[in-house]
Amino acid sequence: MPEGIFCNKKPIETEEALTALLGDTSGKNYYKEMTDLDIDSDLLWKTIQNTCKSRMRTWLEICAHCGMCAESCFLYLVNDRDPRQVPAYKIQSTLGEIIKKKGKVSNEFMHMAMETAWSKCTCCNRCATYCPHGIDMGVMFGYLRGLLYQQGFVPWELKIGAGMHRVYRAQMDVTNEDFVETFEWMVEEYEEDYPGLKVPVDVEDADIMYTVNAREVKHYPEDLAEAAILFHIAGENWTVPSQGWEQTSLCMFAGDWAACKMQVESVYEAMELIRPKRMVGTECGHAHRATVVEGPYWAGRQNGKPPAESIHYVEWLAEALREGKLKIDPAKRIKEPVTLQDSCNYVRNHGMRNAAREILSYIVEPGYFIEMGSNKENNYCCGGGGGFNGIGLYRPQRNKALITKRDQILDTGATLVIAPCHNCWDAIRDLEEEYEIGIKWSFLKPLVISMLDIPDHLKPEE
Amino acid sequence: MFKKILFATSATKVSDHAARVAFNMAERYNASLDLFHVLGVPTRGYSQEVMDVKTREKVEVNDEYISWIDEELKTYYTDQLSDAIQSNITVAVGVPHREILRQARKTNADLIVLGGNTGDEEDAVYKHSMAGSTLQRVARGAMCPVLVVNRPAASFWGGVSSIVFGTDFSKASDKAFDFACNFASTMGCEINLFHALDISTTPVGRAMPQDEIEQKIRESLRKMRSRYVSKMEGIHAYSMDVWEGIPYVEIVKYSREKHADLIIMAHHSRKIEADVSQIGSNMEQVIVRAGCPVISVNR
Repeated sequence: MPEGIFCNKKPIETEEALTALLGDTSGKNYYKEMTDLDIDSDLLWKTIQNTCKSRMRTWLEICAHCGMCAESCFLYLVNDRDPRQVPAYKIQSTLGEIIKKKGKVSNEFMHMAMETAWSKCTCCNRCATYCPHGIDMGVMFGYLRGLLYQQGFVPWELKIGAGMHRVYRAQMDVTNEDFVETFEWMVEEYEEDYPGLKVPVDVEDADIMYTVNAREVKHYPEDLAEAAILFHIAGENWTVPSQGWEQTSLCMFAGDWAACKMQVESVYEAMELIRPKRMVGTECGHAHRATVVEGPYWAGRQNGKPPAESIHYVEWLAEALREGKLKIDPAKRIKEPVTLQDSCNYVRNHGMRNAAREILSYIVEPGYFIEMGSNKENNYCCGGGGGFNGIGLYRPQRNKALITKRDQILDTGATLVIAPCHNCWDAIRDLEEEYEIGIKWSFLKPLVISMLDIPDHLKPEE
Repeated sequence: MFKKILFATSATKVSDHAARVAFNMAERYNASLDLFHVLGVPTRGYSQEVMDVKTREKVEVNDEYISWIDEELKTYYTDQLSDAIQSNITVAVGVPHREILRQARKTNADLIVLGGNTGDEEDAVYKHSMAGSTLQRVARGAMCPVLVVNRPAASFWGGVSSIVFGTDFSKASDKAFDFACNFASTMGCEINLFHALDISTTPVGRAMPQDEIEQKIRESLRKMRSRYVSKMEGIHAYSMDVWEGIPYVEIVKYSREKHADLIIMAHHSRKIEADVSQIGSNMEQVIVRAGCPVISVNR
């Protein structure tokens, strides 16, 4: 059977198709159909010829097989130094082989490649910083995922996730109306405590346009309230767009390149429509990578930048604290051992190692912040990056992958882990559930709010 | 008095007492009853998977699963669901406090009835490692009064003849007073205004002199009179008392003495505490200890 009902090469384009695929619980039939799925070798080879450019070809060619990347990979380390987990091997045996064979690969091979691409690499790009040739296996795995997606070999949850973006321009079934409605609801709930709290929608020429993660809207809308509160107290002229508010990109994890472009263009269109001076995204790592770092190239922007200057939440927060827009009551600073999880996507891959640390210098009592052993651009992935967190098929592998972070945290002796990234936050929550090491974890927003020194005129009357 | 009651239930034993109150009230006040159950809490990142509260299994929720849980709820409350009460069942997935508040907002509920503490077992699933209890979060965000039944002793509801209104003279307490007042005049019941003078916060080694205590009691009584009496037109049976002590203990004692059927208080604690059992506001302590249902009013 070449194409299955659930598992096929067609992307999800409609709500009906989404519901149907969701109805196939755990992707049971989806994965069954996948074992019969044909490979369109001509299309695969044509795509490679058109898209696999000299950089990647050179990388594959010049790899000296020296093995320097091995120790840099946390998945190699937690899997008892299995040689099959050496980054160079992982990419050579998958992408390298597909190219060598000019796309003429078997169904079994594609299964192996899928497992490698989504359960043996989180695209954290740590290995690239240790390769003497500067070969970035993470980038190549991102590319391989695209080829696999095209052929229908993609984990069930990510086929759905990419479909969500195509249908809703959001990673979950949250409509534009739901978004604005939920934000307004949150303001209703909090305006008594913060008089004058508002959610300005579609305000033109504002200083800040704020973008979010749809999961906040769906399950954790307090996060929206907290963002509004901090902008409000800081006296920012901010707004949210009524469309183009979703910053994340599960399509990037899925390798659905066309959806990546659609998604990021919706955010750029919002920027062009309401012309903010800057965009600030929520505490999310891959969303920043998708919208700020890679997005401009997906959208074919000549200068490689989004239409408006775009910064990460930690950059805005550091700036607001530095400039005194937000003031911390020193008595309320964190007085317990605390450590910081660096998000690969904006620390290693976008050089933002100082912003979160600057924030910590304001909110943590001196002496209580402990760095993890490997940190900043050398930090390890949380264990759940690149889509790993959400894939049921690879859950056991994911749980094993958490061990690196668990041990890093244990070594610090910290009882609180600050994780300004949704994926990291999830992974650290899961590792506490799985291994019960007795830690708490948090985004920055609720912590900062709890220790704010609020000016009298912004306090509620009593 | 109440037209739309939202009863948020775990559909387990711990919610049985609350169920009795919710069904009784719906029947007595001819209100519609919305049985609301959060069947599972989202987990595993962005995926669709949730943890089933009862089986503690990870499941993917689809229509079939929802109708199955729906059926289960019907069976659980089969004795209480009668034609006399207009009711419906809603099953949702999400973080419990958020989904309860979402439903209350959607249906414009004028009272939320919460089941008792689900205890360590299910709580772990419901909370999914979030700080603060569902009660704290619902009471904080609700736009309507929230009624909580925690102890079996508190579940009796045979009409209300005596209510206790506890005040700390805050703005939120004023709102709670308006509600209590309206309640008392609609129900034609007695209202007992009460304030507890907190002497538990006196620094160690310094006992408050009796004169000072009595002085403060007199002041509080004066405050009560000027703040509330003029607003109680049409209410004939009322009393006012100020006792000194640990506030929640005094409120519970006072309610017992007044044979209260209902306690009304403001839950204006804005902070979500990490460890409820350890800290707990006065409100929570009253809920845990009281021999009657407690209504929290915030707005």
